[in-house]
Amino acid sequence: RRRAELRALALGQGDFQLRDQEGRPRRKADFRGQWVLLYFGFTHCPDVCPEELGKLSHAVELLEREPGLPPLQPLFITVDPERDDAAAMGRYLRDFHPRLLGLTGTPEEVRAAGRAYRVYASAGPRDEDGDYIVDHTILIYLLGPDGLFLDCYGRSKSAQDIARSVRRHMDTY
Amino acid sequence: AKMSAPTMEERKACWGARDEFWQCLDRHADDASKCEKLRRSFESRCPQQWVKYFDKRRDFLKYKKKLETEGYHPSEAAGKS
Repeated sequence: RRRAELRALALGQGDFQLRDQEGRPRRKADFRGQWVLLYFGFTHCPDVCPEELGKLSHAVELLEREPGLPPLQPLFITVDPERDDAAAMGRYLRDFHPRLLGLTGTPEEVRAAGRAYRVYASAGPRDEDGDYIVDHTILIYLLGPDGLFLDCYGRSKSAQDIARSVRRHMDTY
Repeated sequence: AKMSAPTMEERKACWGARDEFWQCLDRHADDASKCEKLRRSFESRCPQQWVKYFDKRRDFLKYKKKLETEGYHPSEAAGKS
């Protein structure tokens, strides 16, 4: 029933046009046919984003160890396009899963992608170094091969919880 | 010029310094004057914005713990800045 509710929200229907950490253009349509685990965050994030990306990476690794499952694409989209250019994304992502793709773009493109997933993002006040923290929705989204949103996982879910849930979705898809 | 985000090593050094400072505060019933050296170490290892963020986080965690152990007192909550 919850799944029906989530599908009814039909989150993530819009297209997005972004670039990955190598500067290659990536559209939402490019991911059709793939299972995707998606997180929105920013590289200047004090603690939450590294923790969530670590968890996301670990969930992907757990599922990679199971034979017969379709591949799962880990994806990170920035909520801080002003600072998170391709180079910044590349540096940041090195510490996480080797297949983790990071997407960025112009502020308009990034905002559009966030809107498609109802991601709240709000940059806080800048200090004298120009540094700031972006307050944002903290969720890991599971997208099915049709590109639609299937489930989401909050801070309290462990990597094992996420892997178990993704496996269940893959089995029943 | 854009400042680079802290690397994983720098993040861990910051978190470690924060944890040491917080453990000191725990040992001294939040008397920050007993933990000045660790406070300075924490401030030197973390971006200023992160120090502010973690200070707020500690306040929040303490308030949450207080609610969990002592329960909610509306008159107190109204007085909290």
